[in-house]
Amino acid sequence: MVDPRILTEAVEPPYAGGGAASRLLSEIWDHLWPWSRNGFQHQRFVQATGLALAAAASVAWVLAAMGDMTPGAIIGWWFGWSVFEVVVRLGSKPYVKDGPWWGSRYRRASVMDMICYVGFKNLLIGATLFLALKSLGLVQI
Amino acid sequence: MKPLSALRGIAMAAILATVSLLSPPAAAQTAYEAKLPPEVNTAPALCDYVPCTDVLPGATSFSERKGQPPYVEGYAEENGQRKLIGYVVLSTDVTDTPAYSGKPVVTLIGLTPQGHFAGIKILKHSEPILLLGIPESALTKFNDQYLGQFVGANIEIGRSRPEEDMIGLDAISGATVTVIAQNQVMMMSGAAVGRQVGILEATVRPQANFADRGRKLDWATLVKEGAVQRLTVMPEQVGLPRSSEPFIDLWYGYLNHPEVGRAIMGETGWRDLMARIKEGEHALFVIRTGGNESFKGSGFVRGGIYDRVQLRQGQDVFTFRDLDYYNLYGVSAPGAPSFNESAIFIVRSPAFSGAFPWKFIFLGNRIDRETGARTFVNFDREYWLPSAYLEGGRPVVKKPDAPWVRVWKTRAVEIGLFAALLIAVAAVYANRDALTRRSTRKNKWPVNAFKYSAWIISIGFVGFGLLAQPSITQVLTWFHSLLFQWQWELFLTDPFIFLFWIFIILTVFVWGRGLFCGWLCPFGSLSELLYKVGRAIGLKRFQFALPMKWHNRLKWVKYAVFFGLLAVSMFSMGLAEKLAEVEPFKTTFLVGLFNRSWPYTLFAAGLLGLSIFMERPFCKYLCPLGAALAMPSTFRWFGLRRKQECDSCKACAVGCGSLAIDEKGRIDHRECMLCLDCMVLYTDEHACPPLAQERKRRTKAGLALTPIGKDGYYIPIKPVAPAAPRA
Repeated sequence: MVDPRILTEAVEPPYAGGGAASRLLSEIWDHLWPWSRNGFQHQRFVQATGLALAAAASVAWVLAAMGDMTPGAIIGWWFGWSVFEVVVRLGSKPYVKDGPWWGSRYRRASVMDMICYVGFKNLLIGATLFLALKSLGLVQI
Repeated sequence: MKPLSALRGIAMAAILATVSLLSPPAAAQTAYEAKLPPEVNTAPALCDYVPCTDVLPGATSFSERKGQPPYVEGYAEENGQRKLIGYVVLSTDVTDTPAYSGKPVVTLIGLTPQGHFAGIKILKHSEPILLLGIPESALTKFNDQYLGQFVGANIEIGRSRPEEDMIGLDAISGATVTVIAQNQVMMMSGAAVGRQVGILEATVRPQANFADRGRKLDWATLVKEGAVQRLTVMPEQVGLPRSSEPFIDLWYGYLNHPEVGRAIMGETGWRDLMARIKEGEHALFVIRTGGNESFKGSGFVRGGIYDRVQLRQGQDVFTFRDLDYYNLYGVSAPGAPSFNESAIFIVRSPAFSGAFPWKFIFLGNRIDRETGARTFVNFDREYWLPSAYLEGGRPVVKKPDAPWVRVWKTRAVEIGLFAALLIAVAAVYANRDALTRRSTRKNKWPVNAFKYSAWIISIGFVGFGLLAQPSITQVLTWFHSLLFQWQWELFLTDPFIFLFWIFIILTVFVWGRGLFCGWLCPFGSLSELLYKVGRAIGLKRFQFALPMKWHNRLKWVKYAVFFGLLAVSMFSMGLAEKLAEVEPFKTTFLVGLFNRSWPYTLFAAGLLGLSIFMERPFCKYLCPLGAALAMPSTFRWFGLRRKQECDSCKACAVGCGSLAIDEKGRIDHRECMLCLDCMVLYTDEHACPPLAQERKRRTKAGLALTPIGKDGYYIPIKPVAPAAPRA
């Protein structure tokens, strides 16, 4: 029976049921670390490729911080990684939060849900990193 | 009407419009991102590179650049004699004030010898709104309003106010930020020339009375108290590769003050200096402690002007010639840094006063890394002697309002009304439960009265009146501003769009995009109002919705349009702006359906015409702004309510104009316009099948009809256990 009160079926991430503090920490970890043991068991190649691409994207940020990369190149890397992160997460952590951000309702992520989640999250992370580098004078416009 | 043939018609109009707008204009040569020779910014013979005669008619020859900021003199031959007939100034020689694009509008300005604007020509601009939508001729027409006006006049955008001696200029609808910036550029450029050639008199300021407490100040104290200031320019600020070493690192201070003067030059040195300058003249010192660039300028010639440093006090600019320079051999203050260049400059103008704030300006050139072109840029730092250094403290200085502050002040009533509208709509929606409970499927007026009022106000007041139609171009502009040059002032200059976006961002996260798209978007409101009017006047039998199968395919088109625009904007903002014409907003509200070429009119009119027969076709399938807002709507905090029985009941889904309810009764908040029709049914005991069933059962059983709870069901009747018999 489908629950019409939620767009996709409700799911529980591994950390569901814990206290508020541990859930908050787990969610922060979830936002920053897209891989999972379960994901590696099911799609080893995609997850491994994702790790390699994430490492390359991190190197791109470091190069940017050293002044060796233009803003366009950073954005390109970040966008490329974001596309792949969608694929990685759909295999490893295929859920998104539903309702208030301080709540604990999660549901299965459709492809569009994951695009929205990764797009929004990485826009915030990318903007923060970019502005930080810019304010430190490490990225030139 | 067949749905697909109607869509085909709109698609054809869209293709025609796209082909038309992507084709280069046949005759008109626009100044949009025009390629200017690099010499324009630096060559002494400015008029060899720009059409000075266009702005100073009758001039047959021109001088080289002179003065600071530079201008040229224009001459005509009269009876074999050369006669001065005016001046020409390049706006970017005076100010780099950015317009909406974040880049300056490069303007060539001609002035008569009496200080009246004689001609204005836009050489280059980067304004997206003038690329399409509003013709560039509108800016030319705007500039024409300056012709004949005096450079010292009080000129502002808006109504003339003769009682305040204020001349008002008609703005360009939809390009308010651009014209406000342009007005600033025009008046600053005119005044800069006017003050140098004696058209405008310098302001006379009362001179300072210094408080001399006889202290012997060291360098650290001078710096801490603000009597010595520092101006540092980093290489990246002038387009050079980043380096930890500054491009130039300068310290400067005002030497007329006895304590400062003695600390820097020693008692004897300072007394000698004061003896050398006349009363009413002022001395400041400058030392360079970092960088290899000379602040005196490598091209300085005897008799010339030091073209890298100047002072500005209010509107008055003070430059230095060779006679205004004295050597500074050392700094006496203990703890002073070592330096590799130094100078004492003398201000020989009674307009300057040490009691008032002034700015020390370093003039530089920024090198464009791609083209190698140099553009004028200045770096400044304010200096104001501390209160304790002046008898009676600092005088009261009333600084003029920034342009965006003036806009907020002059349009305070409209801003207040607009803010009230936004707050009212949010408040009404926050109380939706009370309204939907008062409504029934047959009488939705408790909800619709507010919603329809919001639509009408949005179309008339917000759309056609204030021209405050949010657009995807703003999202693109902000995205690029975030990356390249974020300026709050730029966005604050359009208060309605600014407030609207605050509202949109907040409500998207609280309730989803529906409150803006469904209640307040001027074009969306117009579109759905046409649909409702069509139904009311008997066109209901022609109205249709796409089959769910097609809707579920076509709804992704808007996301593709959004991502396409975002991707194109990374390579070419200009092309993205052109493609953003997929939004018919400019045609509908900013320019007018009948003021544009036929492809645009056909496209916008086609969409509005289709809206009579189909509910919000543009919003559902094409709107890139809707797509951009739909994505964060995935994570809205509060959604609409459902019951378990909704999984098999189709009552709400059948009536959902947005087609946002799927076959399992689930609401897709990315597509939902928050019309609240389903929420009306949710508590309608005659229309909601589970409720109607329960109502009938209770009525038949003679049970009370308890109020409907938040879960959408009657509050259960719990029998009270009979009291136990007393023992």
